[in-house]
Amino acid sequence: MKEPVFSYVPGTSLLHRLDPRTKLAAVMLLGVLTFRAESFTGIGALFVLFFTLALLSGVPLKVFARAVRPMVLFITFIFLAQLFFTEGEALASFGALQPSLEGLENGTRIASRFVLLLLFAAVLTASTNPSAITAGIERMLRPLPLRWLGVTSFELATMMNLSIAFLPLLFERVERTKAAQAARGMDFGKSPFRSIPALAVPLLRGLVRDAGELALAMESRGYQGRARTSMHELSMKGRDWAALLVLLLFSILVLGL
Amino acid sequence: MIRLENVSYSYPGGTPALRNINLEIEEGEFLGIIGRNGSGKSTLALHLNGLLRPEKGKVTVRGLDTRDFARLPEIRKLVGIVFQNPETQFVGRTVEEDLAFGPENLCLSPAEIRVRVDRVLAETGLEKYRHRSPKTLSGGQGQCTALAGVLTMEPECLVFDEVTSMLDPGSGTAVLKRIEGLREKGKTIVYVTHNLEELHAADRVIVMEQGKIVREGQPEKLFSDLPGDPGLALPSLIELAAQLRAHGIHVPWEKTRSPETFAEEICRLFSKT
Repeated sequence: MKEPVFSYVPGTSLLHRLDPRTKLAAVMLLGVLTFRAESFTGIGALFVLFFTLALLSGVPLKVFARAVRPMVLFITFIFLAQLFFTEGEALASFGALQPSLEGLENGTRIASRFVLLLLFAAVLTASTNPSAITAGIERMLRPLPLRWLGVTSFELATMMNLSIAFLPLLFERVERTKAAQAARGMDFGKSPFRSIPALAVPLLRGLVRDAGELALAMESRGYQGRARTSMHELSMKGRDWAALLVLLLFSILVLGL
Repeated sequence: MIRLENVSYSYPGGTPALRNINLEIEEGEFLGIIGRNGSGKSTLALHLNGLLRPEKGKVTVRGLDTRDFARLPEIRKLVGIVFQNPETQFVGRTVEEDLAFGPENLCLSPAEIRVRVDRVLAETGLEKYRHRSPKTLSGGQGQCTALAGVLTMEPECLVFDEVTSMLDPGSGTAVLKRIEGLREKGKTIVYVTHNLEELHAADRVIVMEQGKIVREGQPEKLFSDLPGDPGLALPSLIELAAQLRAHGIHVPWEKTRSPETFAEEICRLFSKT
């Protein structure tokens, strides 16, 4: 089976043991930081930080590579666009296309930023159980006046959990519907567009029925959309505050570079 | 435990699914509900913890009316339902998290949730699947997880709605064994099925047809009275006993409970002659 992107790798490292809220805040901070760091020294420092975190987490590097891989084409495209379409000192000339030195710098900067963003996100997802992430998000959203929007933070967390849990089931259902249609002589080979209505209608019908059954089962088990607790106990410990402090100092350093 | 008084219900825009049902489910009883597809047996099951509420009449669980929204959490704590399709009753990403879902809704403390989840995992032998996704389990294990997810809420009454219909016979028997174990612990069991064979262990069986209870009684006695009905195949031992009776050999109905008791009775009859 193909390994999913951004998957969780169970472990007991320091990173695994940090509160999900610490890690969420850190990823948000690092996201801002990667786009604020202008100098290559700063970007280099961020890469060093990533490798330190990766080592700390004990997660194999290929897990992180997997997070970047689907975006390689996109990142390459952005890099090339920057390289060729930034005004500046020409490095070489291919007819109408002239890569510039400024373009190379800009391209490298932007490509590195995207890669860093993906890598830091992968550090979070690899070291944190997805339901702990949602529990963390829930806890962070709780003080917001969400009831003005007609939802509670608990409902949002449940929605996130269910979406994560049901994605694989969705793909499985697509395959099953496809097989069922193929068995009745549907030819999927020739035109991909012709098959869409034949797939979409039974797929949607099946999904709506599944969702109805699930809602019933959830209600039966006492789900109300109101306050609920979580098996994952969240508590900010000394190490969480220490980690955030270190990160803050690191940010000031990077911005100063 | 649960009392239904003059309960009627129709689905929106549909024909009546339940017509004037009166039923009292005793504490610690094993009640079987049998009927063909569309007979209203699943609709009845959904009334038992307020997932559906009667249009006419009322359902009370230990005196709590299911139409009283404020009491629904208490009612659902008392009566848990295990559904037919294991795939669409999982909420958690792992077995462990799925088991925690109910207690989380009851707002128990994280420590208490852990204790319950660990205990039920041990009781049901699901410990080794703790971190697996429930969707990757086999049908039998899946249904066992679904049951475990209800057990962590520590209900007094468990309702099983055609839980074996998607399982192979071996897993079905295992699930039934587990249910009988729960009954021995004093839980009230309501078992909905269209397979008469599964109801030998029941104390009482009701037969439903077109939204009404048409028969009621102790299983073997009841089955023997059932007219030949294409929708409900008689258990083979009952069928055999009926055929033997036509030939003048009387095997008492209570001996049709298992092949062992049946064989002993036959041997006893033949050793006499």
